[in-house]
Amino acid sequence: MDPFLTALSSFADPYLLMVVLIGTLGGVLVGAMPGLSSTMATALLLPFTLTMEPIPAIALLSALYCAGTFGGSITAILVNAPGAPPAAATAFDGYPLAQKGFAGKALGLAAVSSVVGGIFSVLVLLVAAPLLSRVAYNFGPPEYFALALFGLSMLATISGESALKNLIGGALGVLLATVGMDFTTGVDRFTFGMWELSEGIHFIPVMIGLFAGAEFMKQAGKLDMKKMRVAMDAMLLPSMAEIKRCGGTIARSCGIGSFIGLLPAEGGTVAAMIGYNEAKRWAKDKSGFGKGDIRGIAGPEAANNAATGAAMVPTLALGIPGSATTAIILGALVVHGLRPGPHLFTEQPTLLYSIFLAMLLANVAFGIFGFIGAKLFARITLIPVEYLWPAVFILACIGSYALEQAVLDVWIMVAAGLIGFLLMRYGFSPAPIIMGLILGELVESSLKQSLIIFDHDWTMFLERPIVVTFLALTLLSVSLPLIGTALRSVRPVRQTS
Amino acid sequence: MAETSDPDRPADLGRLPRDLGVGIAILAFCAVAYVITLGFDEAPAALAQNVQPATFPRMVIGVITAMTLLMMALGLGQPSRRKALPALMVPVTGAMMLGFVLAFDTLGAFEAMVLFALVMPVLWGARNPVALIGFALLFPFAVYLVFVGALGLFFEPGVVFDVRKGLF
Repeated sequence: MDPFLTALSSFADPYLLMVVLIGTLGGVLVGAMPGLSSTMATALLLPFTLTMEPIPAIALLSALYCAGTFGGSITAILVNAPGAPPAAATAFDGYPLAQKGFAGKALGLAAVSSVVGGIFSVLVLLVAAPLLSRVAYNFGPPEYFALALFGLSMLATISGESALKNLIGGALGVLLATVGMDFTTGVDRFTFGMWELSEGIHFIPVMIGLFAGAEFMKQAGKLDMKKMRVAMDAMLLPSMAEIKRCGGTIARSCGIGSFIGLLPAEGGTVAAMIGYNEAKRWAKDKSGFGKGDIRGIAGPEAANNAATGAAMVPTLALGIPGSATTAIILGALVVHGLRPGPHLFTEQPTLLYSIFLAMLLANVAFGIFGFIGAKLFARITLIPVEYLWPAVFILACIGSYALEQAVLDVWIMVAAGLIGFLLMRYGFSPAPIIMGLILGELVESSLKQSLIIFDHDWTMFLERPIVVTFLALTLLSVSLPLIGTALRSVRPVRQTS
Repeated sequence: MAETSDPDRPADLGRLPRDLGVGIAILAFCAVAYVITLGFDEAPAALAQNVQPATFPRMVIGVITAMTLLMMALGLGQPSRRKALPALMVPVTGAMMLGFVLAFDTLGAFEAMVLFALVMPVLWGARNPVALIGFALLFPFAVYLVFVGALGLFFEPGVVFDVRKGLF
């Protein structure tokens, strides 16, 4: 039977359907809660999926990922506190529009733009992932080394205080990936005599710590902050005139979001910011932006949701995560005994089509959930933080423990949380560390294999066109933001002197 | 982060260049990591194939060091932004996080969860005794039920474990 039809027929199973709908509902709720991102929720949920079959497990996480991106816009519009980083740009115009008494309209437009962006991204995933996997099928260790390097270099452009700090964070993650037994020589590295560390540091406890643990600490410093909620009666569908006005913006943002999502390490946050900026740049009348212009909502919402499916393309086809959340989904695939990369398309086509269908269903479902229960979802911000965050921390600890049933993982999670909080305080973002930790093993193994193939002749890297292309792109993605940073650093000095 | 500034005082007076402190901390970390790599066992040449176990970590340490030095160099001439000290509850929460894992390891998972679910909300300002006790008992019980009952997770018995076993 055709794998697509097999996947489609599996959705006739009420269990799978229910899993996707629960994931979607959970995603919207979690996304709506400021501080609780879909990345954190996916990491926390992963241990729950350990006993599930791979298809429902990955479908659940994928649905949560899609819906979480939309959920963030609810509180961005009503509370001016983006539930998730990709929704930050939505607040620029969403909250002012809500303050004018049009909260329902703002949410309706966010839902429609999100659904369109999300469905577009799944179509991109459906077309681009198999194509990319076919190209990647012939990749050897040198190509994978160059690709992983390119993925790490893209950290320079993701959100954060500075490109250099993102790159340093990524390199720290790569160094963390060297903890454990060296796979070619069997020599222990950075294990300090602890046998539990011989298998290395699993990225799930580190990820839970960096996102949930560090956020728990951050929330401890915000206990006296009060949120101003905007009242809302019901979510309203945008009128034809409004859709016509935003049509170009949504279409453009779908393209932008998909392109950004396809790039390794980039994700919805960058896509949303560019989507917003482009919506403003293309507008003839820019005066309404920042004051409640509907294009300022449609642009980032279509873009961040368009990035979700596209970010799955490098994750599934190459095994290189397209964003922080897809990094967890990548980890989930590995935990469930699957091998992300081009081989996945020949070995597990039904699973892949099930993921595509789950994401498609989630994109439609969150739109419906949004229209039915936006008012209810907005009430999630009323849960007292004194109970919510300790509960999140307990779940983070138990989730970290559940992976290997080792207390050491809980210690690693807490240490990652404390270090992550300190790093964030000094302008370092947690996502690059995770990317580095995930890509670290690939970088080292592919480099070692390449050097053996090339008999330690580094110049032979330059004899392979794909490697040269990726290395050129790496150079470009590292140098451009660094030149920008250097210019910005020089300017104030000149002005002072 | 909240920042404070004194309008009567020149912006860069008495302040370290931007990223100097964090740069020094990263360099110190790199130095320690490098020293640790000196203690790695050497693998036989045939096995290592010219790439010793310490080679790659040292390369990464070198890259981090170079980028950190560049970060510090770019920060020269720019005063660091003065950061307000974190609220007292931040270090207290950090200590509670560590305390939870200690309790998890010694008292047992359920006991640690109950204690944490009781103490943490109180520290964060919750005062309703009914809600507090309800949360401290029901939430850990629900977590325990899901992870142990439904997902088949095994928690190492702690010192209070037998007491609870007796109670149940």
